[in-house]
Amino acid sequence: MINADPASDHDRMRAVARGDLASMNAIYENRHRPLFRFFFRLTGRQAMAEDLVHEVFVRMIRYRHTYQMETVSAGTFEAWMYRIARNALADTTRKHRLETTAAEGELESIESTRPTPFDAAAKRQDLALLYRALRALPEDKREVLVLARFQNLAYDEIGRILGCESGTVKGRVFRAMKELSAIYSDLSKEKTA
Amino acid sequence: MTCPHAKELMAAYWQRELTVEDTALLRRHLETCPECSAEMTALGGLWDRLADLPAPEPGHTLDARWQQTIGILTSAQPASRGFSLANFWPRSPVWGVALAAACLVIGVIAGMNMPRRNPEIAKLREEISSTREMVALSLLEQQSATERLRGVSYSGRLDNMEPEVLSALTSAVAHDASVNVRLAAIDALTRASGRPEVLRSLTQSLPAQDSPMVQAAVIDYLVDARDHQAVAALRQLAEQPDLNPAVLERARYAVSQLSR
Repeated sequence: MINADPASDHDRMRAVARGDLASMNAIYENRHRPLFRFFFRLTGRQAMAEDLVHEVFVRMIRYRHTYQMETVSAGTFEAWMYRIARNALADTTRKHRLETTAAEGELESIESTRPTPFDAAAKRQDLALLYRALRALPEDKREVLVLARFQNLAYDEIGRILGCESGTVKGRVFRAMKELSAIYSDLSKEKTA
Repeated sequence: MTCPHAKELMAAYWQRELTVEDTALLRRHLETCPECSAEMTALGGLWDRLADLPAPEPGHTLDARWQQTIGILTSAQPASRGFSLANFWPRSPVWGVALAAACLVIGVIAGMNMPRRNPEIAKLREEISSTREMVALSLLEQQSATERLRGVSYSGRLDNMEPEVLSALTSAVAHDASVNVRLAAIDALTRASGRPEVLRSLTQSLPAQDSPMVQAAVIDYLVDARDHQAVAALRQLAEQPDLNPAVLERARYAVSQLSR
């Protein structure tokens, strides 16, 4: 589970909504890393993931008034933040759609010429294949899997973020795992062939 | 138990969200269904191995960028509204009139006995104020968004916002390419929220704003300023077909507040 205390960030966000913008610093400290990982695993791009994290915190300040309108509960902050994160990602990918499509081939070369610590570790054979399989998943399946497996969110929380029942989320996670397994298996066969 | 239900339970089991009763149900199903049992083994193993993927880390520049942004936004914020003289004003109208009259008398007497200000110091103060304005205006014209943000921050700290500064800030809200600069300019303009020219300019900028965040900020500004003349523009905005849902909600809320 995430180290950040959701109840505290809920209180801090309410303080921000009342005008105490400095409370946003503590929220940033608690949340910027999980958010970065969320974006990085969905986009595969370091710079874009960092831009998106920055964008989410700016949006949280901008939309701080809407936080008061949300139901008062400790789990509210998590769902609210990820909804903003998903909207920011959707806006960015819409804006850069053509660019992203054209750069698919370029991505491989960027990753190979500028290795990050993540790439270096992922190059261990098995994990590299798993990483590639995850990247090859369709966006919606990758998103639900990232939320469940890497962001460690409970299914009812993910349901609040995606706007569906927790039973639906479980079904989607299962299907995502099944497709991931199929892609991983294909990649493994390619490698041994 | 059906296989689709078993698949949901498997996902819950991997996430450690399955109750003892449901775990027993799932086990019984797996004993009788070889297909689900094979999936549980294969996918469960893959689920565990996903945890071995290293966690990527953001670069150091992200922190620096955030510190700069929060610094600008907090410095552009108006002073705390916690203290207000209104809290000390008597509720009774009779005492209110008496206190107002007393303040007037004290003010007149104090004004008559006040030593004349040294004209040189007054001139110096004017020059300093004018220099600060020039710096702010100059920064607002820079090509770099960071410099323009500094200009906005500087403008927000001026003792008096002269028309040139107000004009530069409203122009930034309407035309600046950077969303952050536009947002900071709106915050800086909070001190001038009663000025009709500011309200008019911000209202006119609404239709051309391409950022939902800026649209929401302008709407909040108009509501806070109780600008009833903005209702027509807000209604028009709410009718835009591709308007962001959150902005639409804010626009409707603003219309309801300002139409009262």
